[in-house]
Amino acid sequence: MLTAFRKDLVPFEELARSFAAKELVKKVEEHDRYPFGKFFDNVLERAHEVGFLGIMLAEDQGGISGGIGALCVILDAVCRVDSSLGGIIFANALSQEIMRAAGAHQAAKKIFSKATSARGFLVACPAYIDPAQVSSLPKETKSGKDYILTGSLELLVLGSLASWAVIPARLGATGPYSLFLVDLGSKGIEKSEPVFTLGLHACPAVDITLAKVKSQLLGEVGRGREYFSSASMAMHIAAAAMNAGIMKGSLDEALAYAKERQQGGCEIINWSEVSMILANMGIKTHVADLCVSQACHAYETDSKQWGRHGLAASLHVHEIACDVVTDGIQVLGGNGYMKDYGQEKRYRDARQVQALLGTAPMKKIGLIRELAGLEEACSYAL
Amino acid sequence: MLSRAEVLAWLAQYPKFEDTVLSLPYAPRMPKAMVKDTMEVIAMARKFNREVARPLALPLDRKTHEDPDYMPWDLVETANKWGLYTMWIPKLFGGKGYNMPSMSHFVEEVGSVCLGIANVIGVHYLGVAGVMSSANVRLTKKIVDDVIEGERTGKPCLIALAITEPSAGTDVEEVELEDKGKVTCHARKVKGGYIINGTKVFISMGHMSTWTVLYAFTDLKKPSETSVALMVKTGMKGFSFGTHENKMGQRACPASVLTFEECFIPDELVLFDAEKARKITNKPLKDVNQRYIDYVVSATRPGVCAFGTGAARGAYEAALKYASTTQVNGKLLINNEWVQALLAEMYKNVALGRLAYMEANYANSHRGIYQMLQLKPFFYYYRFMPASYFKNVIAKTLDKEYMSTFMGRVYYDWSRSHDQNCCSGWASLAKFAGTDIGVRNCQLALELMGSSGLRQDTGVEKVLRDAKLLQIYEGTNQLNRLNLFKCLIAPAVAQAKCFEE
Repeated sequence: MLTAFRKDLVPFEELARSFAAKELVKKVEEHDRYPFGKFFDNVLERAHEVGFLGIMLAEDQGGISGGIGALCVILDAVCRVDSSLGGIIFANALSQEIMRAAGAHQAAKKIFSKATSARGFLVACPAYIDPAQVSSLPKETKSGKDYILTGSLELLVLGSLASWAVIPARLGATGPYSLFLVDLGSKGIEKSEPVFTLGLHACPAVDITLAKVKSQLLGEVGRGREYFSSASMAMHIAAAAMNAGIMKGSLDEALAYAKERQQGGCEIINWSEVSMILANMGIKTHVADLCVSQACHAYETDSKQWGRHGLAASLHVHEIACDVVTDGIQVLGGNGYMKDYGQEKRYRDARQVQALLGTAPMKKIGLIRELAGLEEACSYAL
Repeated sequence: MLSRAEVLAWLAQYPKFEDTVLSLPYAPRMPKAMVKDTMEVIAMARKFNREVARPLALPLDRKTHEDPDYMPWDLVETANKWGLYTMWIPKLFGGKGYNMPSMSHFVEEVGSVCLGIANVIGVHYLGVAGVMSSANVRLTKKIVDDVIEGERTGKPCLIALAITEPSAGTDVEEVELEDKGKVTCHARKVKGGYIINGTKVFISMGHMSTWTVLYAFTDLKKPSETSVALMVKTGMKGFSFGTHENKMGQRACPASVLTFEECFIPDELVLFDAEKARKITNKPLKDVNQRYIDYVVSATRPGVCAFGTGAARGAYEAALKYASTTQVNGKLLINNEWVQALLAEMYKNVALGRLAYMEANYANSHRGIYQMLQLKPFFYYYRFMPASYFKNVIAKTLDKEYMSTFMGRVYYDWSRSHDQNCCSGWASLAKFAGTDIGVRNCQLALELMGSSGLRQDTGVEKVLRDAKLLQIYEGTNQLNRLNLFKCLIAPAVAQAKCFEE
């Protein structure tokens, strides 16, 4: 949809589609076996080569300055086939956006411009939380010019792959938090094995413990929430694009199966009860596409309240995505429940994507408080 | 005031009182001892959960991901030691004879901890229902004897039911669709038995069962009129297992592909076929076939509702624990009204699921397959007569042909089609209601828990994976909606046609 009125994004879409067809289609189930199977390093390396790990990143930092539209088009096409790679692209873009919001240009240049491999280009972050809502963040203390972090953090996405991580920490038990850049090779860091989660199996996350780890402050002390909010307003739309892609994949497979599979003497698409399920899947998938396109448009044209539009669109897309992938299995019956088909993975992945950037109910409450003027606007213009 | 006749006339109008408010007339007729039995069953399930299911559920799920071919033999042996494979076999056949509806409460309890483990126990009774619904008393006794002996010797003997085929899932759950479908499991009559060729898929516990109830057809073009149900023993020549299905959830309970190549099954292992049906009933084989399927699914679909209720409860309990221990913005989640309302919604779903399977079980207990066991005189007869009486006196009569003829008359000739519709319709209602709320509560729990809910080690994501299967097996929820329409709505609408689109 986005490429219908943004012709400049067509090459991105074509690139992502051909990449997915060549690198992902035939090995979705194999890649999904991680952490009990092998990690798809070769695919990650290829994704890096074509620029997927730095779409939003400035060119002078080693990125391609593609903007949110390009990121969404690529995530949509990739997640239509395999959302684990989408998760990696998303988490890395989130880290980059946080660093951009914090004005950490030198740090970004140091990491991304000098990276010689895909793993070197990755920066981990706790992509499944809104740090403001987490009471047990690591603690920050200052020792001379240095900041020292102590504590633990769950599900640090890309933590097992990246050399660097964006870590939130607080001065005390409550109050505002700050964001820090941490070298994951530092003394005092312990990482778990990749955590086995519901979906996005090949987008690994680890639990991390920090014991007096020296770190670099991003931006200013206590302004972590502003930086995160600024980054996440764009990334909500990116997450919605991931689920829009997953929905398209689910609809593709359900339609293909329904035209092929016979029941009661004819193809099941001819049974009106099945047609109705497919119709509802189709409607929701198209609506998701519209939501992502319009949210991107609002963001890129800097329209008034684009942040609200993006968050509202993403909440809605995630909700209908969970319906679509559930029906996507149902159309295939028992086959849909088996790993031989792609539907069961989409059923898991859509929920995992829904959890990005914090829980849905808290996002809803944040949105309504902002709309009612009870809290400061969540669209920080940084 | 209305006369008695007027009352009955008004209540007979659609929707009939007897079909809509099952617990009201039937609860007072229930033997009181059933309540005591059920309480004991629930207590045993909770003990089993603490000692077996809860410590095992997550490690076992993880193990099956590490090794997709893993088979939970240890779990089956443990369940066998607990006596769970004979608990709901009637005392008439030498089992412990707990009342059938209590099994739903058992699977809700165990299912709230792990649906896969609950199914490792529960799906055995799908096989038992498949054997007993045939009215073949002699063969039922033989098979059940093996189960009881398996418990005594510590070598579990389980029963699986094989109906689903690669090209026919929904079609073989509904007789009206069978002839339009693509069934392939063929039974060729030969001297002394049948030769079977074909494949069955998604057979829960297939690899781990000693006996399988196999559903096949002598004429693949007219399956509804030529069905044959047979008992196949694992290891028989021509019977082999294909792959172990790689499922999203319920991974503790393996699903198997069964392959039959020129597999000879002797006449004494035939549960029913055209010849046997003729001896026990005056009904045509198509009707017997439909009634047989209805008996099995009417008994088992409320159980699937109980699994769904268990899933809903597992998700609810995980959400409650999380909300009670997690602070957001310095405040415990549970002290937010939106969270309290969410938990109330989830609690309501659990309660409605439980009510649905209980209503369906009232139908079976008073107008369906259990009524010979649950009506007061029969119930107390089985309860108070000593096991030795059944073993030494009754068991000898079970081999006699007249027993099968009698049961055939009871099951197929003397039961009212109206009662069949009530049991089947309510079973479908419970099945799709309970399983939909199971998935719904998982979604609500995940949304509340965010990143915590995603972790396999917190359990709730596993419930979501496990619960989805419930909307598919025992007839998809779509088929069950159509079956409800056929059984409970269409009889009142003369122009309504079912399965004729």
